Amino acid sequence: MSKAKRRTHHGDAREMSRRKLLQLGLLSTAATPLLRAARATAQTGGAQPSASKATGELKNPVEFKAPKVKASGPTTISFWQYVGFHVDVQKFIAEEYKKRHDPNLSLEITAFPGLNEQRVGVKSALAAQSPTPDIIAIEPGAYAVDVSASGSVIDFTKVFAEDPEYKRGFWPNAIELLTINGAVVSVPAVTNTVIVYYNRGVFQQHGLEVPNTLDELKKIGAALNAKGIMPIAYPAGQDRNFPIFPYYTYLGGIKADKLMREADLGLKPWTSPELVAGAEFVEMMAKSGLYAKGPLGIKEPDAIQIFATGKSAMFWGGQWMRRSIRAALPPNFDLGIFPFPAVVAGGHKPVLSSVGITLTVNARSKHPDLAFEMIKAITGAWGKIEYTRNLGLSPNGPISADAIAYQMQSLKDPLYPEFLKLQPTGTTRVIFTPAVEEAVTQGMQALITGSKTPKAVMESVEAASQKVGARKFRTG
Amino acid sequence: MLSLAARRSWRRHAAGYAFAGPALVILAAFLVYPIGYSVWLSFHEWDGYTPRWGPFVGLENYRALAGDEVFWKATLNSIVFVAVRTPLEVGLGFLLALLLNRRLVARSLLRTLFFVPVVMSLIVVTIIFQRVFEPNTGLLNTFLRAVGLGAFTHPWLGDPATALPAVIAVSVWKNVGFSLVILLAGLQGLPQDVVEAARVDGANAWQLTLRVITPLMRPILALTALLSIIGGLKVFDLVFIMTRGGPTYSTEVLATMLYREAFELNHMGIASAVAVILVALVLSIARVQTLVLDKSPEGGKA
Repeated sequence: MSKAKRRTHHGDAREMSRRKLLQLGLLSTAATPLLRAARATAQTGGAQPSASKATGELKNPVEFKAPKVKASGPTTISFWQYVGFHVDVQKFIAEEYKKRHDPNLSLEITAFPGLNEQRVGVKSALAAQSPTPDIIAIEPGAYAVDVSASGSVIDFTKVFAEDPEYKRGFWPNAIELLTINGAVVSVPAVTNTVIVYYNRGVFQQHGLEVPNTLDELKKIGAALNAKGIMPIAYPAGQDRNFPIFPYYTYLGGIKADKLMREADLGLKPWTSPELVAGAEFVEMMAKSGLYAKGPLGIKEPDAIQIFATGKSAMFWGGQWMRRSIRAALPPNFDLGIFPFPAVVAGGHKPVLSSVGITLTVNARSKHPDLAFEMIKAITGAWGKIEYTRNLGLSPNGPISADAIAYQMQSLKDPLYPEFLKLQPTGTTRVIFTPAVEEAVTQGMQALITGSKTPKAVMESVEAASQKVGARKFRTG
Repeated sequence: MLSLAARRSWRRHAAGYAFAGPALVILAAFLVYPIGYSVWLSFHEWDGYTPRWGPFVGLENYRALAGDEVFWKATLNSIVFVAVRTPLEVGLGFLLALLLNRRLVARSLLRTLFFVPVVMSLIVVTIIFQRVFEPNTGLLNTFLRAVGLGAFTHPWLGDPATALPAVIAVSVWKNVGFSLVILLAGLQGLPQDVVEAARVDGANAWQLTLRVITPLMRPILALTALLSIIGGLKVFDLVFIMTRGGPTYSTEVLATMLYREAFELNHMGIASAVAVILVALVLSIARVQTLVLDKSPEGGKA
């Protein structure tokens, strides 16, 4: 094809996509009242039930729905993701889908070693207008904005409009988080929380109770330090997200998430008193003696080792680490979890929540409908029960008591129901503007090392935010 | 119609062009074109997601870099990395080469041991050293506590003051074996008659090393240093895996900045400008080194 012809072809594609976007925009406007109603439901509840008392050999109580579209001949759709430990369950669901509904359709999964590597690969593929991969795993926040703003992925609005039940299967705040410029960019496979794991044995041995307030946590820290036990293993050196956890936690604790989101979008200053108070909290935590020495020099495996060997009594981490923690623990280790205590007097306990891996469809995929069907299989009502049963992660959206009983039959981990109870209190931990996220990460590192004051940190974040200028996207 | 002389000349050179052609094509496709592409991209804005670049911005990306304190910090860190690593790597490599050039017990075993880190996977090395430097249960702090030096324990990679030295130390440990091998080969290739003549003239070991061997080894030392400098300026993987340039940019080098700008901040134009500066820096140093070598009495004869 000549260069001129190629240009025309691309031009047409852009025109098409603009028209399509307009249509989808109208659809999404029409769907807004529905979204509001769903959001209201989420705000008033949504807790998962306790497992039912069902006994015997249980089965997934939800029907694995047949797809609306099937492959006309042998077809393989490609899927690029970045969480290796999810591969088995994704394969399992894809094989069940093939067996029960569409024998012509296969899923080829490429698991990159990490998010960075996958993002580089995806970026190159999208820039080259490659139809591969058909399905892309993306993270909420800046990654979702990037693929959405560049028109590289297909909006879920149409899928949701055709299947409202599928949409109702997700927590509305998760969908809100993945809505960029009015388009639902991707859908979540799971929900993850950040909580405090603790060594029940050590707590009992020293007469310590699970803390409800920050002061109680500090007292526990002092008591443990006096006994030569490090209070909290906190792997702040793991990646660029970990140093921000305390900050998100504080803002969640004072219900300033919305303010942070507005600041992220350049609508409010990062130097607002609440946001500076968050930075002061990070500094206070770093100086409190609560962390094992040098948190920025600690990575996840180190922190797990410190905790598993009893050198620290608590571990601040995510639900996704439950398996690796369990694997490292000696057999008699009594593992517990608790939400981070209230950060202000009379405040609620903040549980950071995130949707983790989310799935979307490449706008240049040759089989977009089949890709959507595969995503629906993985994240739909039946799929999410299987997905979370296999991984011990919380489903994104409500599941029944019978479903939990079915999951517990193989999971057997008493922490799983505890995680399920924590979901509705969650607050999100996402920053959408890359330059702002970078400034916050660096700022939090500076607070942990004591090289900057909270005010100076927030001023530098604000400077980074102003440098970005008006955002070309809106969220929710 | 070509003249007879021209035809003869063409025939004479045709084989040369034929042999060099494929290599030149590959060089042009995989070296010249990407460099040119990168230079041209550095004058544009682009987020890396769309097939088409953004607008032409002239020198704006370079201007942005000049006003970015992280860029200057990364440049300084790159220079410090090279300035500390290269003398240590080449110096230690030379000392070890001199030692292993003598008749020692278990000389072969020692050579192999010193070379092992070079062939080890960098990922493995960095993971091992992350564990070594871990502040609470890491090998280094545990050792310090065990020998009564608990006061010196430190969060090596978690403190901006010690993170870069720690990364440099790992780099030296990993690469000193490479310098050792090159320098040892050089030592073994030295003209023995000159060394013997110096010995006969009564030169002691110190004089022999300083006045005879070192000058003779100068081209090889320069080559080893050049390779180390270029490797040091390009360092990415070691820093990225160990610290990701942190904490607070204390280990940020030009290559990690390039990656961050390109793939985390979506500033492909700025990232290309960093790449161009990095290439210019490497080429300039290589050129200076070549000039120095050419001016030396043994220049270019290594």
